[in-house]
Amino acid sequence: MKDLRFYLLTALGLAVFPFVFHLPLINGYGGLAIQILIVSIATIGFNLLLGYAGLLSYGHAAFYGAGSYAAALALLRVFPQVHSFALALFFGIIVATLAAAIIGALVVRLYGIYFALLTVAFAQMIYFIVFQWRDVTRGDDGLQGIAAPMLNFGFAKLDLATTLPAFPLGPFGDLSDVKYWYIFVAIILILVLAFVRTLNRSQFGEVLGAIRENEERSVFVGFDPRRYKYAAFVISGALCGLSGALRVLYEGSTGTDSLTIDQSGNFVIYTVVGGVQTLFGPVVGTGLIMWLQNVISAKTEAWRLIEGAIFVAVIIFLPSGIIGTFAKKTFSLGKVLRTK
Amino acid sequence: MANTILQTRSLSKHFGNFAANADIDFAVNEGELRAVIGPNGAGKTTFFNLLAGFTPATSGTIVYKDRDITNASGPQRVRIGIAKAFQTANIYPSETVEQNVRLAALARIQGPFALQVFRRSTRLEAIDTGANRALDRVDLTRLATTRAGDLAHGDKKRLDIAIALATEPEILLLDEPVAGMSIDEARRTEQLIKKLATEMTVLIIEHDMEIIMGISDSITVLHQGRVLASGTPAEIRNNQAVQEAYLGGHTESELAG
Repeated sequence: MKDLRFYLLTALGLAVFPFVFHLPLINGYGGLAIQILIVSIATIGFNLLLGYAGLLSYGHAAFYGAGSYAAALALLRVFPQVHSFALALFFGIIVATLAAAIIGALVVRLYGIYFALLTVAFAQMIYFIVFQWRDVTRGDDGLQGIAAPMLNFGFAKLDLATTLPAFPLGPFGDLSDVKYWYIFVAIILILVLAFVRTLNRSQFGEVLGAIRENEERSVFVGFDPRRYKYAAFVISGALCGLSGALRVLYEGSTGTDSLTIDQSGNFVIYTVVGGVQTLFGPVVGTGLIMWLQNVISAKTEAWRLIEGAIFVAVIIFLPSGIIGTFAKKTFSLGKVLRTK
Repeated sequence: MANTILQTRSLSKHFGNFAANADIDFAVNEGELRAVIGPNGAGKTTFFNLLAGFTPATSGTIVYKDRDITNASGPQRVRIGIAKAFQTANIYPSETVEQNVRLAALARIQGPFALQVFRRSTRLEAIDTGANRALDRVDLTRLATTRAGDLAHGDKKRLDIAIALATEPEILLLDEPVAGMSIDEARRTEQLIKKLATEMTVLIIEHDMEIIMGISDSITVLHQGRVLASGTPAEIRNNQAVQEAYLGGHTESELAG
């Protein structure tokens, strides 16, 4: 019953969401809704690590970028003759998961700020490799003009760039403002939310929470915290890879911006603003900040300054984030960083 | 002759140049209630930490049931039956009392790691059995739904023991179980320890001499990281070296009282 309510309300929210951008005051554009949902998936993955495992990664762009470059290269170089949507998506997830498996093995023994610093270091390493390896990655130019294959269901093919049939919706625009892409990404997002929700309530999530609360006691009831954190790290990286791969397939391009420390920082900001340790916080935070960025950066160059101010204000006045405050969560980023 | 369950040979732990434990030869029999005493800084807690796998030994060996466990990790030792309750109650304060012991029961059932991202632990009935039993043994059943952090000091310490019990140990390490308790709480805990000692091997660090002399089968005295003496409570009470080193030469009656 509660499950049904969860799916219905989430689906309803996602169904209404793209049309909200047509309200004059909101002033967004159609594609922004799709981008927000795609990036939300990475933020949800990031929150799995920060919120549920209590580890602050400042290098999650590595997995988001790895997913996007891998999906792009799958279409351009690795399997160009196959040109499959599913294969590109799958390849993106696999490469990001492998990257997370390797980096995770090296960082999960660290705590707090040291963990954060080492993740930055590895992410920067990947950034510079991609930046320098021009033959494959085209360096600073990024990979452009990637034609997304049609979605192949076997019995039928669907071009996700197709719009829905025309149907006027008054102030909310028209049904045809929405592409099938939105529906596709919304379905994936619901699946991701359902997965994280299930994981959080599972035996695995229960132990992860126990380790977060008291690692020492957890060791001495017989759990192995490192393996739990490692698993959380890898799952988290896989979700970022999925997000990155979707971005390439939707936008038809990727660049080194997907791998920057700014991008890593974005995941932190989105999650903390929306609400750490909450299911919908990452989605709300991603939506709010990406929308603000879209609106504000059109008017002033000082967007970064404003974003920073918002982040600081949230840390001080709303440390549990928007959703976290409603859900009466208590979260402290400082405490995560001070963990030894 | 009873079976030796846990034994150490020349066990040492150095922190830099400081030998917290030096060449400790120690053996405890199955079912025994053994006290480890000594003045502050004698190395008692370090010794327990070595036994529980909390810190690695610098040299020497630890043998548990004929198996060398010197290099076994903490979780591995819990798995084979060595559990520890801490000097300062080590619990999950934001969880309920019941959830505290459920986690330990879960660890007992599933082992150090299980990638169970879909199944809920409530599906495992054995957890209920294990958790309820552990709470019942320390008499905390009536507080099962209380937030652990809200418990009184004595109850927190007994919950810590319950967590250890929920891992179903064969050997239980108790580090100052009655420290900081009211007289009444201490009496109840003393009764609890006596009862537990009939079911498993118990090692106990404690400063309360009255309790130690009353409940122990035997006592090991540590002094400056070394074993000073081992024997029955009566032997220890009358041991001249113990009286001098441990109490700075106080009389027998003072030690007894």
